[in-house]
Amino acid sequence: MTPKQLIDELIYRSSLAMDSKNFTGFLDLCDPAFRYAITAYIPEIRKEMTWLEHDKDGMKVLFDNLPRHNSDHSSLSRHVTVYTVEQDEAKQQAKTVSALQVFKTSLDGGATELFAVGKVYDTISMNGGNPKLLDRNVRLDTRMLGIGYHIPL
Amino acid sequence: MSRNEIAWKEQPKFPSTHFVDTRIYTDNEIFREEQEKIFNKCWIIGCHESELPNAFDYRTFHHPGGAQLFMIRGEDMKVRAFYNICPHRGNTLLYDPVGNAKRITCIFHAWSFSPKGDCTDIPRGKEGYQERYGCKDASLREVKSEVGYGGFVWVNVDDDSCTLKEYIGDALGMMEENLSMPLEVFTYHKAIVNTNYKLWHDTNSEFYHDYMHYFNRITGMMQPGYFDRKYKGYPNGHASVGSMAIKYDAYAGSQERAVGWPGLAPGGWVLIDLFPGMTFNLRTSVLRMDTAIPLGPDKLIIEFRGLGLKSDTPEQRAERVRDHNTIWGPFGRNLHEDLLGVHGQGLAMRERSDSKWVLHGREENSTIHDEVGMRHFYAEWGKRMGRQASDPFGDNKLA
Repeated sequence: MTPKQLIDELIYRSSLAMDSKNFTGFLDLCDPAFRYAITAYIPEIRKEMTWLEHDKDGMKVLFDNLPRHNSDHSSLSRHVTVYTVEQDEAKQQAKTVSALQVFKTSLDGGATELFAVGKVYDTISMNGGNPKLLDRNVRLDTRMLGIGYHIPL
Repeated sequence: MSRNEIAWKEQPKFPSTHFVDTRIYTDNEIFREEQEKIFNKCWIIGCHESELPNAFDYRTFHHPGGAQLFMIRGEDMKVRAFYNICPHRGNTLLYDPVGNAKRITCIFHAWSFSPKGDCTDIPRGKEGYQERYGCKDASLREVKSEVGYGGFVWVNVDDDSCTLKEYIGDALGMMEENLSMPLEVFTYHKAIVNTNYKLWHDTNSEFYHDYMHYFNRITGMMQPGYFDRKYKGYPNGHASVGSMAIKYDAYAGSQERAVGWPGLAPGGWVLIDLFPGMTFNLRTSVLRMDTAIPLGPDKLIIEFRGLGLKSDTPEQRAERVRDHNTIWGPFGRNLHEDLLGVHGQGLAMRERSDSKWVLHGREENSTIHDEVGMRHFYAEWGKRMGRQASDPFGDNKLA
């Protein structure tokens, strides 16, 4: 596969892992220095906001704690399209911008509704042909998120 | 043993102040009456002064009584509130939720207004209205507004209402020192939930539901001092809950708060509920303010604001943002659980679902799991509505 194909596949596999709540699988796709954030601009107060922010260890703790919490068990389906890939061969990294739509499907009856839209800004470590996620910023346009959700997008 | 239909509908074996009829959460007639007799009579928080830092800054607000409002800071730096409606053909004047407008001009026919509410221009007014109608007849409808209690902008659509000070009384006394310095809103989001507004305020008025929150059980309920926290009721339906020291590092992945709040002990947590649907929730490093805005008996917008000190350094602010969003953001551990709870109540207590009673019967000397906070709310609700929450239609034949 070309580097571009490897990068695309990494991003798509990360969504598949999260959709199936395969959190170990998701973390396996991340570099040890991985950082994750969900951010948004809040026009009502004209401020940037970071709604969730963790390093790789923090993500693992978040996933491990999930069964201890009461959560909405509706499933999420993340639809990602990689728009741009910019490779930096000197750094052995790539920066990507992907469109994101997240759909929520209820357990009772299976009705699906749009949960959120935004973009995903990833930095990827090329890692000698075995790319890993180094940094992910899920930048949401949607700010009205109903009752919210415990699992990252 | 399970109950049959008769037993299910039997009056709970409590005084009538200790339970409510679930129709108060589902009936449209009651909801309309609440808008008129409660929301259109009470002081409500429209926004915070930090959302209007400059002259001519404005902020729109969906008032829970139904009116669309905007609050605007004038050239004299005074904040005023008006109906967001053009007196000509009823168009919305300000579309964006926030902005800066030296002159408010309706997009429809370019009628213009000053930030004091005066009509300043009616295009081709003389030609169309001659001497029959002019700017002097076309001012905006102003509603009472005051800035206070931590810099919040309060509005009251009742021209004959009491003052804000009379309305609040001593209810915010517990936070007087905490609210005495300039504050700033650093986060804001809304949630729409298919439930009744009172169910949200009930959740903010009882801590027995800490069983729902793993975070609160570990960091609070299992720690010394938790069961000593006390409720106190105030006139007009307000209530407060005393503090304790939260042990944040008891939750895996969490740590003791590095930033505190002036006048609050380390790890402290005080909460004040204001009738009919506002909550000041000061938890160690962050003040959260909820405003409940009902859209119907079974639909609710909640506005969530997180505030820090205006004097925060970037590092302190980042810490407060993290502390807030870890538990109270849309992806936080606690807020989702609270919203899931009231969402579930909305599902179970739909009209015709044959729900009948909700119990507010716990008595524990007004300590943290006592349900006196809700009872205090419904005493005020009943007084204003002229209805008993346990028998809102007078057909329950209560003993």
